[in-house]
Amino acid sequence: MTSSGGSRAGGDRSQARPEVRSDDVWVQATSGFNRWVAGEAAGLDDLVAVMTPVLWHVVRAYRLPDQAAEDVIQNTWLALVRRRAAIIDPVAVGGWLTTTARREAWRAAGAKTTPTPVEDDDLAQVLPRQRSAEDSAVEHDEGDRLWAAVDGLPERCRRLLRIVAFENRPDYRELATELGMPVGSIGPTRGRCLAKLRVALMQAGGI
Amino acid sequence: MSELSRDALLDIVRNVYERHDPVPDHLVAAMQAAAAFAASDLDLELMELVEHSTELVGARGSTSYTLRFVHGDTDLLLRIAVDNGRSRVDGWIVPAEPMTIRALPGEEPITHEAVVSDSGRFALTDLPVGLMRLRLEPHDGARPAFATPTFEI
Repeated sequence: MTSSGGSRAGGDRSQARPEVRSDDVWVQATSGFNRWVAGEAAGLDDLVAVMTPVLWHVVRAYRLPDQAAEDVIQNTWLALVRRRAAIIDPVAVGGWLTTTARREAWRAAGAKTTPTPVEDDDLAQVLPRQRSAEDSAVEHDEGDRLWAAVDGLPERCRRLLRIVAFENRPDYRELATELGMPVGSIGPTRGRCLAKLRVALMQAGGI
Repeated sequence: MSELSRDALLDIVRNVYERHDPVPDHLVAAMQAAAAFAASDLDLELMELVEHSTELVGARGSTSYTLRFVHGDTDLLLRIAVDNGRSRVDGWIVPAEPMTIRALPGEEPITHEAVVSDSGRFALTDLPVGLMRLRLEPHDGARPAFATPTFEI
């Protein structure tokens, strides 16, 4: 865990699986957990393999730097191993992991009740944008338009949508605290954020 | 242009982030290792510290002392020497038994390891100072691994 940034996976691979958001992730997580608890070490490997990418995106929604994000994810796994007896319902293991990671990420991010200032966000986005310039020209255009639409959303929307996109039914009560809004307004806010994204995508001609 | 559904929009969000902020290459393997290691520690039996010699301060700030641990029939004697901010552990296991000894320094995730010789001796060199524990893994697969409690060098 020393590298920060350097080489990364993803890119074309993730692009190539458009609507695969199967609930498979959660089913596989439960299966891995069950096998691990039954004494099969490979079950834990599978659980980690399937859930670590989800945790990455959830944790990065809090704008943590690479290393801090990795620390949060590692602490989440250590917590799971130590407290596995506390997970009564194996079906809930995915949710337990994302909730634990989110709580820790929020704390690590400074436990601010208000989203981070816009200037920081803009700075944080400079790198990924430059990196994408190395991609092929076609993907570059298409990808850039989509990225610009998502990235142009207000911080609160970006965080909320990224969490909702990668998580399975996130806990609205905690989200509300983290986003500094009443729990009852998470649903409507999500709706408004999606509407904003829809408009941004049309304006960008990205679809 | 048809109106994008909620799921289609969330798919876009997902794809965009997978592309622009992808999971670092090493992350899954690193987390698998960390989780597996923590899990292997769960059922680990701890040795008991039975002796701790007083420190001998040598020239130029070097020190050395001995620790003795027992677990069942296994006796582990350690001589720990610190010099210039690095440490060295010479160990002796009685009765001698083929084992791999791993030093688990608190701050450096990389482990140092040694194999016990026929006479029951092993040495771990160039270790950091600070919190440390040793994990003893008998090569006889039927014997579970055990570990010393954490001690400070």
